[in-house]
Amino acid sequence: MSLEQPELDVGERPDGGLDYDALADLLSEYVLDREQHINCEAFVIRPGDVPAVLSTLRDRAGFDHMSCLTAQEYRDRYESIYHLRKYDDPTQELSIVVPTARDDPTSESATDVFDTANWHEREAYDLVGIEYEDHPDLRRILMPETWQGHPLSRDYNQDQPQIVPLREYPNPMDKRTEAPDNADTMFLNIGPHHPATHGVLHLKTILDGEQVLDVDPDIGYLHRCEEQMCQQSTYRHQIMPYPDRWDYLSSGILNEWAYARTAEDLADLEVPEYAQVIRTMSAEMCRIASHLLAVGTFALDIYGDFTAIFMYAVTDREKVEKLLEDLTGQRLMFNYLRLGGVAWDLPEPREEYFENVRSFTEQFRESLTEYHDMLSSNELFQMRVIDTGILPPEEAKRYGCTGPVARGSGIDYDLRRDDPYGYYDELEWDVVTDDGCDNYSRALVRLNEMEQSARIIDQCVDILENWPVDDRRIQSNVPRTLKPDPDKEIYRAVEGAKGELGIYIRADGTERPARFKIRSPSFCNLQSLEVMSEGEYIPDLIAALGSLDIVLGEVDR
Amino acid sequence: MTLPVTVEGYLPFDGAAGEVVAALIAATLVSVIIMANAAVAGPWAKRKITAAFTDRIAVSKIGPMGLGYIIVDSVRLLSKELIVPEGVDRPAWDLAPLVLASSAILGFAVIPMGNGIHLADPEVGLALVFATASIASLGLVMAGYASNNKYSFLGGLRAVAQNLAYEIPLLLVGFSVVLFSGSLQMSEIVAVQSQTLVSLGPVSIPAWFAFLNPFAFLLFMIANLAEVGRNPFDLPEAGQEIVAGFQTEYSSVYFVLLYLGEFIHIFLGGAIIATIFLGGPAGPVLPGFIWFLIKIWALFLFTQWCRSIVPRVRIDQLIQIGWKGLLVLAFANLFVTAGIVGVLAA
Repeated sequence: MSLEQPELDVGERPDGGLDYDALADLLSEYVLDREQHINCEAFVIRPGDVPAVLSTLRDRAGFDHMSCLTAQEYRDRYESIYHLRKYDDPTQELSIVVPTARDDPTSESATDVFDTANWHEREAYDLVGIEYEDHPDLRRILMPETWQGHPLSRDYNQDQPQIVPLREYPNPMDKRTEAPDNADTMFLNIGPHHPATHGVLHLKTILDGEQVLDVDPDIGYLHRCEEQMCQQSTYRHQIMPYPDRWDYLSSGILNEWAYARTAEDLADLEVPEYAQVIRTMSAEMCRIASHLLAVGTFALDIYGDFTAIFMYAVTDREKVEKLLEDLTGQRLMFNYLRLGGVAWDLPEPREEYFENVRSFTEQFRESLTEYHDMLSSNELFQMRVIDTGILPPEEAKRYGCTGPVARGSGIDYDLRRDDPYGYYDELEWDVVTDDGCDNYSRALVRLNEMEQSARIIDQCVDILENWPVDDRRIQSNVPRTLKPDPDKEIYRAVEGAKGELGIYIRADGTERPARFKIRSPSFCNLQSLEVMSEGEYIPDLIAALGSLDIVLGEVDR
Repeated sequence: MTLPVTVEGYLPFDGAAGEVVAALIAATLVSVIIMANAAVAGPWAKRKITAAFTDRIAVSKIGPMGLGYIIVDSVRLLSKELIVPEGVDRPAWDLAPLVLASSAILGFAVIPMGNGIHLADPEVGLALVFATASIASLGLVMAGYASNNKYSFLGGLRAVAQNLAYEIPLLLVGFSVVLFSGSLQMSEIVAVQSQTLVSLGPVSIPAWFAFLNPFAFLLFMIANLAEVGRNPFDLPEAGQEIVAGFQTEYSSVYFVLLYLGEFIHIFLGGAIIATIFLGGPAGPVLPGFIWFLIKIWALFLFTQWCRSIVPRVRIDQLIQIGWKGLLVLAFANLFVTAGIVGVLAA
């Protein structure tokens, strides 16, 4: 084997494409049927074969990233779709469709193959009602324990009153705060109201002195039925405002882009180049704003009290917000992207706007060195965060971690480069990774990514400035009512601030999606907290949580 | 001449009654001075200082420079409802804030503040002030344990571990000063420091122990930060980790007392440093009392500075710094100082 020709996984073609026939041969005994989704092919398998198929694909065909699990109910069956891709090349995708009968919706669990399947399957059980055999802990995850019915199933009655009888549940929170009976350890509820949980997160923690023996995140306090709301809205206009509210901490345009990219590929819509440049520029501004808040609050978790770093970060973020406000008219809930382009052109006078953006990036580079002085090169800070909250790359992959969390563990995975969209492949920038696998690396990756974002913004401004006046098309022609062809299915993802933000849509020929599933990066990353914090001290647990940079709006949706 | 004796001279009667009344008047006077400083520090100076470090403005709306907040906040805090959680251990839970506040203020009894403001001058002054300051740990444990709250409990445990680890080095460094002065009496310690160390033309530098032994001064400053519980050693109440530690369950007046105790404790730490390292109330031109205030406020500023810029260390790192670092250095300092003093004396 020479260096020029690396060993290929089964089904991988030398040009980087996928040979689905070879994969089907590999799984010949399992594959019942093959379907065509827009993003990739899908193999239909029996419910009992899930672990066998997934482990074969992971070990022999290199599909080491289970990015998402979509569950849905048809008239005659339930269906779980495992969206697989590779960390090396996310354009190589494969979906595994597992239909289960309506009267017995039981499927074999994939938790033994991918740890990330744990929460995904719990969510599928909670919202749709599919049961997973051999799942270690199949209980509700987003809805309360006492909820009756599965909200996204077909026969669910929304008007049914949710009665929680006192006789059966003297304390509705009983199960959520159940303390294990052990005299040697201490059970501690951290949250849902706690200064360091960054929202309404509840960590059921078992402590031995100050050391963490076990931590079990309990989520769902901020569940807002985002998927269902999108399923009740029309593609063309009504869905776009919702993504802003998933990760509501200033990554609005990144979220909107996830929906825009999915829906545009689903309905086969063109986006003018000019609009792509504007999208790229504004998305990177959002990334800077989001990372600034992440770094600022992380510093807050380490330093305690209000610190200079937090205030400086918020001051800088304010400047980005101002630029975004000039562009979109909003500070957080932008609703700026449209299917086929953006809502409107750059603000007039254009020269002044370019000047503002340039002076911001210039000044921002200076403040970045200041952040490095105060954070990454501060010895006391290093003492606190280096070698704490370790997340080895193999574990990160099993837990489906993406974004700065994966890149802080040395996984070179960035959808902007690996699965190009927008204008990214035309620009000069680098993917930042760090091999430290600890809290420090994750913070460092965010700091360095902001520098790259500033680089991208600068190039976009240059391109926009020289764009010919008569070619400034901000939107392509999109039908007023968008009705994608029935039975088209697609899973598409973009690189959000927190990681891979994916959306699965199934069209049924109407103007509303039949299934709208959100793959939120925070949801997947948060699962790895258990690995990071076991055996660490409480302060390191808090630091690990801060370094994950979760937003509960996105975790609970 | 101590303050009660001075006061007694103005009283129309003497004897035992005169002594008691004079002592009470003098103690009240000193307490009022300390409380006034804490009142300025808590609701106003602390905010202003932190704001300056973080590019903010902080309180500015009421009164000149926002000084009106001292009154406004006092009224606000005192008028809040006192919430008594279920299952607290009543006498201990109520006593803890009192113990914390009073133990700190007790230490000022032996501190010479200049211009004759000096309540008592016993021969064991320095030992007494350390002893009273240590009572605060008892208050922290009481608060942490009696609150019936796991965060409080963790905070209480941290407080004990921290105080144990840092009070021993603090005392050892304090003793190295006694080697210079040859006395535990506060007035004696101050008097020894008023001698001239070197004369540079018209300017004579006094023999402050901070100049004589800067290493001990540095050690004492660090140990003092841990003693008063400020960054990087603010673990007993680490907000991001254990909510508010031992003070989680306290509200209203008890909360005020806890905070008052903390601020007085910071000032007491500053007063001890000023007395044993910075020549007490000594200083040129201005009256001694003003110099004393300047010194304790400078040390208050130092703690606030650390609070704004230094990350908090972890509990195991804190214990490690205390037992493996400071304690060893404190012993080394003590032996070396003893050797030098012995050689010079011989």
